[in-house]
Amino acid sequence: MFFVLFRGYCMNNFPDWLDPVPYMAQVEQAQRRDVLAALATTQPTIAEFATLLSPAATDELEALAQRAKQLTRGHFGNTIQLYAPLYLSNYCTGGCSYCGFSSDRKQPRHKLTEAQLQTEMSALRQMHIEEILLLTGERTPQANFDFLHSSVKAAAAHFPKVTVEAFGMTEDEYRVLNDAGCTGITLYQETYDPVLYEECHRWGEKRDFAYRIAAPDRAFRAGLRTVGIGALLGLGNPIAESISLYQHAIHLMKTHWQGGISLSFPRLRPESGGFTSPHPADEKRLAQIIFAFRICFPNVPLVLSTREAAAFRDGMAGIGINKMSVASRTTVGGYENGRAEDEGQFEIDDGRDVETFCSMLRQQHLEPVFKNWDAVFR
Amino acid sequence: MDKLKLGDLEFSSRLLVGTGKFSDVETMVAAVKASGAEIVTVALRRFNANEAEDDLFGPLSQLDRVTLMPNTSGARNAKEAVRAAMLARELSGSKLIKVEIHPNPHHLMPDPIETYEAAQTLAAEGFVVMPYMPADPVLAKRLEDAGCASVMPLGSAIGSGHGLSTRELVELIIRDSGIPVIVDAGLRAPSEAAAATEMGCDAVLVNSAIANAGDPSAMGRAFADAVTTGYAARQAGLMARLDHAEATSPLTAFLSTPE
Repeated sequence: MFFVLFRGYCMNNFPDWLDPVPYMAQVEQAQRRDVLAALATTQPTIAEFATLLSPAATDELEALAQRAKQLTRGHFGNTIQLYAPLYLSNYCTGGCSYCGFSSDRKQPRHKLTEAQLQTEMSALRQMHIEEILLLTGERTPQANFDFLHSSVKAAAAHFPKVTVEAFGMTEDEYRVLNDAGCTGITLYQETYDPVLYEECHRWGEKRDFAYRIAAPDRAFRAGLRTVGIGALLGLGNPIAESISLYQHAIHLMKTHWQGGISLSFPRLRPESGGFTSPHPADEKRLAQIIFAFRICFPNVPLVLSTREAAAFRDGMAGIGINKMSVASRTTVGGYENGRAEDEGQFEIDDGRDVETFCSMLRQQHLEPVFKNWDAVFR
Repeated sequence: MDKLKLGDLEFSSRLLVGTGKFSDVETMVAAVKASGAEIVTVALRRFNANEAEDDLFGPLSQLDRVTLMPNTSGARNAKEAVRAAMLARELSGSKLIKVEIHPNPHHLMPDPIETYEAAQTLAAEGFVVMPYMPADPVLAKRLEDAGCASVMPLGSAIGSGHGLSTRELVELIIRDSGIPVIVDAGLRAPSEAAAATEMGCDAVLVNSAIANAGDPSAMGRAFADAVTTGYAARQAGLMARLDHAEATSPLTAFLSTPE
């Protein structure tokens, strides 16, 4: 299966600095001894990363997990940082073929009024949440930059850490968000393959690959502290996407020495439009990818959302992953009214509440950390 | 053992401990107690007045014989560190402040320029300033001149467990320093802490090595013993290190021959 997926992946259509093709031979040819050497080195490079993604490394998954756990505990300790998403709006002008918010989907559209935003925020405060991620779809007249800006300002009054996952913005817009109390953004490239990118993003502003790939650079230049990046695993070959993501991370770390990056591993989930994944990544593959990133980036936060199943999240907590969302609702107004899940951006798998999730962490001798930031740093 | 003097404060213990990375607050508090530490550092960003369960400050403030040393971790420049220090003093009532400015959130290496600037400001504001710093002998003297109560050079990267990899530089800092030198960060084993006090450090600060130990309380005690032993050995006067056997026929015997 692995090699079948692989052979189909020879098109070299990536920008040079993101191109995974030069490293694919390493993935294919790595032997057990290469994997052991990659696990032993203290200065892994992209060659070791490719080795850790290889079929030979799949056979050594336990050794990868052990190394990943050591490194995670060394840097992040026995803690898991928690956050929750807050959907501000599901209006969207985008044409992302895989997304439940895409403008051609028939689902009802909502956006939070100021009063509803306050209600959602107090529901989250009651759940002890201290870090929130504000989300919208692509830029629309209903949910435009000003709407996002005022939502950030409102949220910053209640939460020490507020981040945003919305549309790609200009550097000036990012600066305005920063001044309003936003700490960082999350912006996934979705796929690093420009041809596939164009196929999936059928219309709208998001269709511009180059503008989106440079958005994290604009955010850092504007003074934002953190940028979360990731590929939507399942769109393209997950190995190739991971190698490009590695290169994107390296680029950001070299270019913005004060910038904090984090890496997320969203997997394509079923959504209301029925899009099916052309390159599904199973849990074992996903775990291997996360371990490889942890081993090569021991001090970068690695994030896992409630898209994943409870058992998988329990297993990955503290052995690679150090930050997780909890008790998420992907519907607009979901915390207060528990709106039907079939209106969400994607299906949630781990639906446990905060208390249940935290008691699982504590059973594993991991401390759930809600507040790890302070408004004084704005 | 004589006292550790920091500004106008005096302490019996020469082990300072950090409070992050523990699997739960109870384990952390037990380890702090077991370590006998009298100075405990806690990040302002882990103060949570709204949620007792998520708050590190509350349980630590209940401990007798413990002076809190809030730290400014999260600050990426002097301005932010000064703001954080002011807020931390207001919330904790402690004038001890660990200046911790690491603008790169990944490797967490301290920024010498911003640290110096913040130290100057905070010393003038009456804080007992404890700067976490690169193991740089020149910067150490600059920070002393700026009015710091100690210097806290790193042994190796935070959380790395690479021990005293900056040993030669720390030796230079110790040789010239007029204020206490406290190795902070990177220690893994009590033997490394003993080596630090034995070579002349006045104290050590440990967090990860205790938090990530199989039995944090037992490791806290082990570090306390090691720090005491190393310091006592230093006070006792170590024999000289000789690289070769002493010659039985002195080479300079001819110099005392009567002319």
